[in-house]
Amino acid sequence: MIDIKKTYKNYVDGKYVRSESGKTYTKELKNEFYELPLTSKKDIRDAVTSSKNGYKKWSSATPYLRMQILYRLSEMIEGNKESYVELLMDHGLTKQKATKDIDESIQNIVWFAGLADKWEQLAGNLNPVSEEYFNISHQNPIGVVFSLSSSNVSLNELLMSILPSLTVGCSVISYSEENSVLALKFAEDINNSDFPSGSLNILSGKFENILNDVSKHVEINLVALHKELDKEGLKTIEQNASESVKRVFSQPSIEGLSSILPYLETKTVWHPKGT
Amino acid sequence: MIDWQYSESIESPDIVSIKKKYTNYIGGKFVEPKSKKYINTISPSTEELLSKVPLSNEKDINSAVKSAKEGLEVWSKLTPNQRSRYLFKIARLIQERSREFAVLESLDGGKPIKESRDFDLPQVAANFFYFAGWADKLDLSWATKSLKPYGVVGQIIPWNFPLLMLAWKIAPALATGNTVVLKPAETTPLTALLFAEICEQAGLPPGVVNIVTGDGSTGSLIVNHKDINKIAFTGSTQVGKLIQKSLAGRDVGLTLELGGKAANIVYEDAAIDQAVEGVVNGIFFNQGHVCCAGSRLLLQESIHDEFVKKLEKRMQSLRVGNPLDKNTDIGAINSKEQLDKITGLVNEGVEDGGELFQTECELPGNGFWFRPTLFTNVQPSYSIAREEIFGPVLTTLTFRTPEEAVEIANNTEYGLSAGVWTEKGSKILWTADRLEAGVVWANTFNKFDPSSPFGGYKESGFGREGGRHGLLSYLKASS
Repeated sequence: MIDIKKTYKNYVDGKYVRSESGKTYTKELKNEFYELPLTSKKDIRDAVTSSKNGYKKWSSATPYLRMQILYRLSEMIEGNKESYVELLMDHGLTKQKATKDIDESIQNIVWFAGLADKWEQLAGNLNPVSEEYFNISHQNPIGVVFSLSSSNVSLNELLMSILPSLTVGCSVISYSEENSVLALKFAEDINNSDFPSGSLNILSGKFENILNDVSKHVEINLVALHKELDKEGLKTIEQNASESVKRVFSQPSIEGLSSILPYLETKTVWHPKGT
Repeated sequence: MIDWQYSESIESPDIVSIKKKYTNYIGGKFVEPKSKKYINTISPSTEELLSKVPLSNEKDINSAVKSAKEGLEVWSKLTPNQRSRYLFKIARLIQERSREFAVLESLDGGKPIKESRDFDLPQVAANFFYFAGWADKLDLSWATKSLKPYGVVGQIIPWNFPLLMLAWKIAPALATGNTVVLKPAETTPLTALLFAEICEQAGLPPGVVNIVTGDGSTGSLIVNHKDINKIAFTGSTQVGKLIQKSLAGRDVGLTLELGGKAANIVYEDAAIDQAVEGVVNGIFFNQGHVCCAGSRLLLQESIHDEFVKKLEKRMQSLRVGNPLDKNTDIGAINSKEQLDKITGLVNEGVEDGGELFQTECELPGNGFWFRPTLFTNVQPSYSIAREEIFGPVLTTLTFRTPEEAVEIANNTEYGLSAGVWTEKGSKILWTADRLEAGVVWANTFNKFDPSSPFGGYKESGFGREGGRHGLLSYLKASS
């Protein structure tokens, strides 16, 4: 009997799509050859359009709902644990390491799910101004985030490049190069977890092909790089970003509360007190 | 009708003695610039020469950064409580010499003494007091342990609130354990140099605060210095972008507080007289040289005519003139260059088809002045409705629904501040939630407090100054 091989596609706006360019790159896994979408400039533009709409839906969902959708993701991954472990082992990980990676992933999803309705209390506050004013600082998500995932084949590392920004209400374009089979498999669980379309788009390809388009796109509000880039690449991204004062974070902290801080805009509202 | 005679009330400039020439303040010493070059600083209200300050070159900046590195050795070894005490001491000294600073600020920058005395200086002291108290509580400030000071911070500040911007920069930087090299603006260097005396009086360890003067080239030397760990800049979006670009690919922290084109939204159910006052304060405070100025007045169509009539009447009562006159509402435009920019944009507004109203008042013969100006009949595409004018010029647009008001308000690359006027609480909260702006003033405008974070969305920059959030601008998250 001949095995049935899965076709991996980009996940954009809640749909599985090939690159409009028709181009692919090949990944060999256990003697099978997978043709993965080679994301083009046009694909990035489409993803941003979707993410802008996704942002509206996702950021306006209540924290309570976002929490439950994130928790739903952990349920999905728990249910598919074995297939993840198998895929990681296909990539060369030992069973022990693969299992640990998935366990940590689930643990982190649960942690962030529970943060969805708490971070505003941790990151915002009343300000004790010295006049008769009500003054409060609270946060808005920054908007559309482009996140380049780590080159390590690890679901946990992939998640840590997505969860902090997604949890606070940003929409995320997650881009993977080396670990794209894993990322595109993960898209299936996103698809099953009730995330609004466009809140998380998952793409694969060669980052160098789209580096300029991403860093120049004025509707991407923040670029997070979870992978060490060569100096020239980083310089180009940051130079392009300066044209629209775009935020760029190279290997941002993924520890606790500091993991979400880059993705927040602080808004302070004043109102007089009186009779 | 009673024939009122105006009698002026001039604050005496004698309280401050301005030296003929100033030096940089580096490593706890007042030192002549190695460049041997100086620039003039004049009073924009008389065009008279006030003094000369160093035009610092590469050697001067090298020496200032080296001194800040040495200062860091000492500063980082002090206990947080000791750092706190130095900041408290500075705050007290500023209070004690506050009148002297206020007069100097008005002379060098052109702002009314009423504002430098009652707004700038009290806020300067308050900022040092506020951050003094944080210096020994950083471990309590954010629920994360990974925050560390950057080290040597380069700070470049603008000319609109010279000493207050210095306080916004130096107080949090020092409280978080950094040392600084600060460059005041080319046209307003004097209060920063007087502040150096305060550092000396407070016995601040050498190198913790270094003040170097110069022009844009000096600022660029600070930005590009290899030993600077972080840059904090307040100024135009144009220069902010250049700084961000210069730092590309370098492991240097950056916060930017840039331009704005704030919408001040007045709904038909607002308390109209209060709103008129707020709109006037929003745009004419500090001659409109305010990055968060409410420069786009968004009026609900139904109240447009009534509101404009009241606004024009109120504007006519604004007193323009000598900054040292305690009755002055609007002082001098900060420089010839800025006056030309304002004049250019206003002329463009007239050519585009905007309807111009300017108050009738006598302007002094010397110095740089601009009449309070209001544009009506403006299309959103006009430059006066899009570009930051940074002067006493208000542009009026109209809207029909709250949705439209929010859309117009957000239809700009800027996102620093916004105003909302309505007596309906739910409408305030609905509007505030949707405005893309770092500060939203509801039924008020241009209020500031050291505990209240300030800073922008979008191209108005990133990072916050003030409050608990302001600490993050000087602490680096390390994984």
